[in-house]
Amino acid sequence: MSAGITIWRCANCRAGFFPEPLLCPRCHGKKFETDRVHEAVVEEISVIRHMIGQENWQPRRIANVLSSDGPRMTVGLRDDSGPGATIELFEEGTAPFGQAKK
Amino acid sequence: MAGYAKVAANYNTATQKHLSPLGHGGPNGVYALVASRQIKKYGLEKSDYGHIAIAQREWAAKNPHAVYRAPLTMDEYLAAPLVADPLSRYDCVPVVAGAQAIIVARPDRAPKGRTGVRVRAHRASYNYDNQEGDGLQTGISTFANELWREAGAHPDDIDVASIYDDYPTMVLAQANDLGLIPGNDLARFCRVTIGEKRFPVNTWGGMLSAGQPGGHAGGLNGISEAVLQLQHRAGERQVKGARLALATGYGMTMYRYGGTAAAAILERVE
Repeated sequence: MSAGITIWRCANCRAGFFPEPLLCPRCHGKKFETDRVHEAVVEEISVIRHMIGQENWQPRRIANVLSSDGPRMTVGLRDDSGPGATIELFEEGTAPFGQAKK
Repeated sequence: MAGYAKVAANYNTATQKHLSPLGHGGPNGVYALVASRQIKKYGLEKSDYGHIAIAQREWAAKNPHAVYRAPLTMDEYLAAPLVADPLSRYDCVPVVAGAQAIIVARPDRAPKGRTGVRVRAHRASYNYDNQEGDGLQTGISTFANELWREAGAHPDDIDVASIYDDYPTMVLAQANDLGLIPGNDLARFCRVTIGEKRFPVNTWGGMLSAGQPGGHAGGLNGISEAVLQLQHRAGERQVKGARLALATGYGMTMYRYGGTAAAAILERVE
């Protein structure tokens, strides 16, 4: 687990994106640099109660969040944070997660 | 279903890297979040989506090729198990095996006595907002005015509509983009227009009742039905005197919602 989530910033216009785009939709730049975003506000949540092909599935919470640096992203929620809550972001591999800010 | 689970988990790089490891539930998880936004923005109730599922099931009862044909009541709809909040069983398109084919030919090659159907206008859009919006507007919003102008028609002229229905949420989003919902009043559209059967939408039962065959066959369902309706070959579900039809497509869920959308206006050739 590592603090923050990787975002991609256009080397030309500095706009931030998640996931990584092929071209910058702002300036059509092709080069991106990684950056990290650490906080977000929860906008909507869902609980995944059924997963195709899985037995004994335990419900998981996911959320659409607005990161402090602009890009919206879908994260796994590790606690009961609800819409409007500010959460801290972290990564497990390439997967973005969040939990209430301590 | 294991094959479909594999496809859903590896649909594209963004899904594979950033969504699947969350246990996001495939497209159900993606559109659950879109539905939450739609409910909040337009003041919808869960039962509003139910009107779409129920009306389509009623149409499906008249389609011998539909997978689910038993009547669906609002009580059954509301009592169905949640799949990905707020989506429950009847909000999620069932995956089936199936195929569709459409033959495009010169008028003189058509079977004798078979009424022709012509495309009056069509448009498509790809990744118009780079996934930076809320997903409640589709790419159709970028070309709807142009589509109606080229077709020389108005939403009120449409006799029957096939609106891509992977989820009721997206039926509403596309219908709204096309100007089929006066005043953006999505709730009234569900309760009155659909609930009181004032406008025929997805008369083969839609994918929600007839099932969604993977790949292009899902989208072709709506076009096939529009053609059958305009040829007056839709059997028990025939919309009387249908002359002008609308068919849409939506999909390629890139990350937070679909990136592609298309629509066509079809007309019966007398």
